[in-house]
Amino acid sequence: MANIEKRHIINIKNLSGEFYFNAILHEAYACGLLSESDIENIQLQCISLLSYKCERYNMGESSSIKVETAESIMKSNLYTIGLYLKSLPDPDHAAAELKTVNVSELYERGRKIANTKLQAAKRFYDMVRENRIDTPNHSYNSTLSENGIGGFFKSYNLDYEAHDVPASIDYQLCNPVNDLAGVEFIQEYLENLYLENEFCKNFATENIHHLLYGYDEGYEDLLINIFEQVLTAALGCSLVNRNIRELYIAEEDIQRLYDTLGKNDNSSLMLRIDKATKDIYEELKITDPLIQRYIENSLPKIAANIEKALNLNTLNKVFVTSINPDLGPGIHFESSAKMDDEEYRRLIEELLSCRYSSDKLELIKEKVKSFDDLEDVLLDAWLEEEEFISLFNTLGDVEIAAMIKRHPFESDIQAVDLSEAEQALRLYLKNYVNGLPRNKREQILQIAKHLVMD
Amino acid sequence: MALEIMILNSSLVQKQAVGEILKCNDFTLGFGLSLSPQDAIELVETRTSSLKRNGRIEFGGGIIEKIIKEFCDSPYISMHNYAETLHELIEIFYFYKNETLDLISDDELIKFMKNSFYGKCQGSLELLAGRELDKLARNLRFGYDPEYSEDDEFDEEDEDGEY
Repeated sequence: MANIEKRHIINIKNLSGEFYFNAILHEAYACGLLSESDIENIQLQCISLLSYKCERYNMGESSSIKVETAESIMKSNLYTIGLYLKSLPDPDHAAAELKTVNVSELYERGRKIANTKLQAAKRFYDMVRENRIDTPNHSYNSTLSENGIGGFFKSYNLDYEAHDVPASIDYQLCNPVNDLAGVEFIQEYLENLYLENEFCKNFATENIHHLLYGYDEGYEDLLINIFEQVLTAALGCSLVNRNIRELYIAEEDIQRLYDTLGKNDNSSLMLRIDKATKDIYEELKITDPLIQRYIENSLPKIAANIEKALNLNTLNKVFVTSINPDLGPGIHFESSAKMDDEEYRRLIEELLSCRYSSDKLELIKEKVKSFDDLEDVLLDAWLEEEEFISLFNTLGDVEIAAMIKRHPFESDIQAVDLSEAEQALRLYLKNYVNGLPRNKREQILQIAKHLVMD
Repeated sequence: MALEIMILNSSLVQKQAVGEILKCNDFTLGFGLSLSPQDAIELVETRTSSLKRNGRIEFGGGIIEKIIKEFCDSPYISMHNYAETLHELIEIFYFYKNETLDLISDDELIKFMKNSFYGKCQGSLELLAGRELDKLARNLRFGYDPEYSEDDEFDEEDEDGEY
């Protein structure tokens, strides 16, 4: 009996969340709850509210106003009234209020609700910032920054632009917020983001990082949803009985998934995913019904992705294998201690007064014992290109690779901000490397790729 | 746009505006100026079309009465050009409301129009619209003093004999 719903004259499904006032007026008129004269009366009251608000907007200094501004104020008024009407138990009730209560009174009630919602949204913003994921993803971080959603709370205008969302929001949610505007949109967006963060908090930051790195090396710059990737990986781990918290699926697991999931039709696939979801709840001890509902709302999208991937033989793009970028082969390069400043200054003075290249080279060989010092000498001693080449010839492959790593050649345009000496060093180094035999050059570039500077 | 049509075509508002204009006759008769009901209707029509052309809407009593009361003592206006001048002034007013980006209030703009019309323009509406108000709008947009004029700078330089 608990499932029996009261029947309403106005069908809630026909009402737009964004333009609630207009929708309810339209539906109430269509259902006969409001007569033509009621509608006319409401419209006239809306105009007089608009006139009052425009006067306030102009601070009584101007009797006319730009049409766009007036339109925006009108939208803001109707949006605010809509907030109040939404707070009523049902649309029939709202239609009755429209008939009996003055529009400016409805506006004042809506204004109070908008204020409360704004305070609630601010609280959610603080909560989301507290439970944010530690990730290098740019869209995630910039959306949560003061210049992203933070800007909303600075420039949101409840009086004249309540329907607007003056914020830069790039991060895409797994369940996007549709059909809402103004403060309602922000509140819903932040609530959803909070739930996504709460779920992701069950996993170690490195595990999420490795998973996303496996998805794409440059995921920092991608407009991806972190929660969706994490949830998909968790489902994958659950389906192949791996540790859910590690979010790691091996390539052989993906083959197993083809074998097990490939046989299922849509409904049995959904059943398996549901079962895997329950396992996730159990393993991660997720008891919050809000998070559970949010995850369940995300499942159809993920299931559709899996189904598509099964058909296209691209399951490895849905269930991504984590990659730890730090585990690649690496050569650690460490320079020994630099020489004393006074001693270095004497060396440079001596080098600058040297007449012959051979003397300079001898001097450098004799005095310079550290890679960092050599680098400084190359920049400070105003050597000729031939002298550079002779010096490079005395260095080993690793040192050349380290030099390339620290002084990569850039195009002339990119190099405009560099000093003259730095530009010369980079150019001579590039010429030197290009002049090497092919095998040696490739070997050096390979070393440079794996070099880790300490 | 629905909002615009709804507001501008309201006949009640139009009738009220005509009535208010005709009431001004009591005040302007002292200066030998008056408007017929037909003139008043035409002025309201000019206001409506001018608002529409400049993408603006107006609520309640407009600025026509204010313009009438400010300009009725002008030595450049007499019965034969009264209504015609008012039509032009209304057009100019709304055009420059937009051009000044609403940075100036109605009263200030009308006062400026009056001072320029009586003074520098010597009754020329062309000079008022094409020179003085244009200068004002430019000054306001660039954040200069409303009275600022580039010509004054050149004049000063001339006096110094540098040019």
